[in-house]
Amino acid sequence: MKIKRLLIANRGEIAVRIISTAREMKIETVVVRNANEPDAMYVSLADIVFDNTEDPEEIPVFLNIGRLIEIAIETKCDAVHPGYGFLAENAYFAQKCIENKIIFIGPSPDAIYKMGNKTIARELAMKQGIPMATGSRGNIGNEEEAAAAAELIGYPVIIKAASGGGGRGMRIVRKPEELEKMFLIASKEAEKAFNDPSVFIEKYIENPKHIEFQILGDTKGNIVHLGERECSIQRKHQKLLEEAPSSALDDNLRELMGSMAVRMARAVGYYSAGTVEFLLDSDRNFYFMEMNTRIQVEHPVTEMITGIDLIEQQIRVASGEALAFRQKDVRIKGWSIECRINAEDVQAGFAPDPGKIEKLVLPSDPYVRTDTGVRAGSAIVSSYDSMIAKLIITGTDRKDAIRKCKLALDKVWIKGVKTTLPFFRMLVRNPVFIDGTFTTAFIEKQLDKYYLNSEYEEMLAAWLATRLFVDENLRRDSISIDYENGKEMSPWLLNKRINQF
Amino acid sequence: MNDEKPEIKKLYALSSENRRFTFSLPLKNTIRIGKRSYAVTLKSDEKFGTYILLKNRKYPVEVVRSRQNRYEILFNDISYTFTIETPFSLKRLKVLRSYSGKAESEVIKAPMPGKIIDVLVREGAAVLRGEPLLILEAMKMQNEIQSPVNGHITRVMAKSGTNVMKDDVLIEIKVG
Amino acid sequence: MDLSGKNYKAFIERQEALKKQYSPANAEKQHSKGKLTARERINLLFDSGSFEEIDTFVTPAQQTVEFGKLERTYGDGVIVGHGKINGRLVFAYSQDFTVMGGSLGLVHAKKIAKIQEMALKMGAPIIGMMDSGGARIQEGVASLSGYAAIFHNIINSSGIIPQLCVIMGPAAGGAVYSPALSDFVFMVNRTSYMFVTGPNVVKEVLNEEISSEELGGAEVHGRKSGVAHMIYEDEENTIMALKKFLAYLPSNNVENPPVHTDDGSTPDINEKLRDIVPDDPNKAYDVKDVINLIIDRNSFFETAELYAPNLVTGFARLKGKTIGIVANQPKVLAGVLDIDSSTKGARFIRFCDAFNIPILTLEDVPGFLPGKDQEHSGIIRHGAKLLFAYSEASVPRITVILRKAYGGAFIVMNSKSLGGDFSFAWPTAEIAVMGPDGAVAILYRRELAESKNPAELKKELVKKYRDKIANPFIADELGYIDEVIDPAVTRKKIISAFSALSNKWVKVPARKHGNMPL
Repeated sequence: MKIKRLLIANRGEIAVRIISTAREMKIETVVVRNANEPDAMYVSLADIVFDNTEDPEEIPVFLNIGRLIEIAIETKCDAVHPGYGFLAENAYFAQKCIENKIIFIGPSPDAIYKMGNKTIARELAMKQGIPMATGSRGNIGNEEEAAAAAELIGYPVIIKAASGGGGRGMRIVRKPEELEKMFLIASKEAEKAFNDPSVFIEKYIENPKHIEFQILGDTKGNIVHLGERECSIQRKHQKLLEEAPSSALDDNLRELMGSMAVRMARAVGYYSAGTVEFLLDSDRNFYFMEMNTRIQVEHPVTEMITGIDLIEQQIRVASGEALAFRQKDVRIKGWSIECRINAEDVQAGFAPDPGKIEKLVLPSDPYVRTDTGVRAGSAIVSSYDSMIAKLIITGTDRKDAIRKCKLALDKVWIKGVKTTLPFFRMLVRNPVFIDGTFTTAFIEKQLDKYYLNSEYEEMLAAWLATRLFVDENLRRDSISIDYENGKEMSPWLLNKRINQF
Repeated sequence: MNDEKPEIKKLYALSSENRRFTFSLPLKNTIRIGKRSYAVTLKSDEKFGTYILLKNRKYPVEVVRSRQNRYEILFNDISYTFTIETPFSLKRLKVLRSYSGKAESEVIKAPMPGKIIDVLVREGAAVLRGEPLLILEAMKMQNEIQSPVNGHITRVMAKSGTNVMKDDVLIEIKVG
Repeated sequence: MDLSGKNYKAFIERQEALKKQYSPANAEKQHSKGKLTARERINLLFDSGSFEEIDTFVTPAQQTVEFGKLERTYGDGVIVGHGKINGRLVFAYSQDFTVMGGSLGLVHAKKIAKIQEMALKMGAPIIGMMDSGGARIQEGVASLSGYAAIFHNIINSSGIIPQLCVIMGPAAGGAVYSPALSDFVFMVNRTSYMFVTGPNVVKEVLNEEISSEELGGAEVHGRKSGVAHMIYEDEENTIMALKKFLAYLPSNNVENPPVHTDDGSTPDINEKLRDIVPDDPNKAYDVKDVINLIIDRNSFFETAELYAPNLVTGFARLKGKTIGIVANQPKVLAGVLDIDSSTKGARFIRFCDAFNIPILTLEDVPGFLPGKDQEHSGIIRHGAKLLFAYSEASVPRITVILRKAYGGAFIVMNSKSLGGDFSFAWPTAEIAVMGPDGAVAILYRRELAESKNPAELKKELVKKYRDKIANPFIADELGYIDEVIDPAVTRKKIISAFSALSNKWVKVPARKHGNMPL
């Protein structure tokens, strides 16, 4: 069924991204305006704005299933695109959309549920013969089970939350003595973050690379992979920079891992866009980790090297169309790097630096693509993420891409909040990054500083401080006073003043 | 006896990491890099805001705060803190440093029982006298606790969202 | 100097002797402690070449004495004179620690008294730079009388010429009354201290070990006692600040303060002012953000910043003209008035009144600080000082109510009925006898007790109270506020109001002086 009007249940850059493709497909877009950022950029770009600013928002609107369905119905939308985060991987939401005859742009609720539960996903992967890290079968109920499983698997192990990721509910345990304590901490954290204390245990793979494969499937059973993304540049489980392809894979490995990814997707009858995550160790062994049943933040790098618009494909698949290509038609050309420019203070350990963006100038060179949801005057609020823009640079090969990255990073101009630009400027000059051998341990363990110290930049700052000091204190004319004016006053007043003493 | 005014001939910009930059007075709008001098201009416009122009390249710059002779400058996304010293005040700093054998530490205690709403500093951060450290809600009022000294935060014991009693130790600052 | 002839010989000899007394080795005595010499301070303070010293060559009163030996030194430990600071006549004295420890003897005191009398006759400001070991023990009662004479002069000049004091070294025992009686005290951190009784006596009498710094250093006086109004890290910054400060003040109590050139960079209308007060009435904001948007750029000079930070006082300029600002600071103690802030405000207001400086009051005060501590320490009397000071002030007085203005605090903070000339209010103002929570609890006591859902009802009633009783429009309609204004036009409004008040003159009642609560 052709989609004519689409509700975007999200905000920020992904909302802007979806609007952009929808516009090209001549689909009307509906967005939700909320009180946290009433003047956000995405609001002014959509065709129809549903004003939710009066809502007291005890549950943020983008997490409020009932409300979103109400809005979709009221605005007569055919479909809903959940973006990433929020309700994108909420099977219940997907189900509710379908029940209300709204097309959910994503996979089936069943696929979301199965892949959303890490224990079930692992079970499926095992059945499919997909390589994975040895782990506990099913969830761990208590400390004793945990200890037994860990013994069997062999230390070091990692405790993971069954219902979520992003580092929460996750603990690495290297010594048996710590297991009990870590198990309790991980369960509590998982409960707090995902309302489900269930955890499972896996062998911990030291210093792996994080390699993920982009999956695209249609409802007719055609599933392809669009190559891998290299996502090992992470800090506290948050990705900072992603590349496509990865310098760690050759064609054979790519084909092998890709086919495993497709196999995994097929096991749940997957359609729409999704990502299968693997860990790659130093011996080129790969292990299935999990599958994300949504479009991801870093999807642009795959788009740049395959020439495929993933949002467009998602919408087509959701409308019932078949994919216009098969695996053999997928070609990878060039190299793409994405830098996530966030409003964070690298000198304070990437602490968020919310505020108002006073000036924003992004490069417009042909090799740069900027995906952003803010403009000059936008506020970065602490209730949402701190993303300012994604800088996506494409080159002919990795060396060329890195070279262009350096150029592009120096052309980004943001004033009003501190950004992670100094980090990227340092990263693209770092030898470990340049030779491509970095692992997920790189940022946290091998870097002692997150920015470069440029002596002459510091000197310029010192000059400015000195200039200000001189202007305020030492210039002859820093105090320009008219004494005579103070002595001139109306005779009436002068007379009164003198006579009163 | 009407003496020569002690003409200040040089100024030193001391960074928070004790690097020293020397500038002769009168202050010229140039900088020495290696053997050459380059012109530096401070400009401001609608599109870019305030910036410094050097060798045809623009650098975003912002004066984050200034107090007496202490300036925090945000230059190309990195914050630098400088104190501007005259030759005499530099000498004075050396003298004063030699006095205090032990590094003075200032302990910030809760002035009344209440709830910590927001902790505004983190360990290692430089603070100036009068700057806010944390917000304490007490008696239904929001109370900003300010730093009484110039220094660096050595320990932050206060946690946002927790309740504290009078005199609970909240923050430790190393003076200077 | 080649002046031959015996008349000039003595002249030249004395000059040489003075040079010898002030050799580099002498200067090093101060420099090695991180301090400047008395002369260097004078030279930094005054415009180049404008300082004329007097009584340079006086010698101490007693040359021989039982206890100790006195040297034949010139100056008796203080340099006095007059000069121009930024083009204006100012008198000053600078104590010289290198000569007999800067101790005050008869001649030293006479020099200071002389310069004070001159300053009063000429109607020019006087600055005292203190760096002294205190009374000269050898001269006994003569030293003490010397001090008394100095204090008497300060008091005679008080409110007639601005008297500023800079503490650049020790100032102990009797010496502390000079700063105490002066209008404003500047103090240099870590190399100066003030106390009535020093650590030695404290040790003897109370057996308590305490350093000079802990007993009476700049931190103590800036933060705790409020004796020092401005603290700086070093002497050069102190003197530069002093010069800037002086530029806000008139030379005497008949003149208006000097007018500066306004670079016009502060917009008269600024929409940012509308965003400063948060919607949540319990959320704080920084009143200095408001101040900085309505005054001439960079013209705010805060006084007593570290003391009673819940009340902000300082000088600023509007279109180049000096005004004094008194503002409640919501982010400290929610801006309540307490003992310290009441006395801080009262003294500041009286200074402005004495010297023809108009006063702008920015009000956001929920009341006085409750509690046994405050009540037992006399918040009643101290709060009354602020009331008295405002009421008595005959300079133009304008109030802008930003948010809360409850009860007694509303009255105290320059309300119209106290003689305030103009009272403006922002739409966010809440003017009432009592804050909504307290008022509702009293007015609707029965309803709340009988309600099934008291919390819900209270919320509703509080909103009703805010809308119906505490809003500024009622006060406006009754004439107790002159106008409810759009925050964006605040600067424009107050400039125009002060302009209308520029010739204000009020006859003060004929009496020796009032009986202000102290």
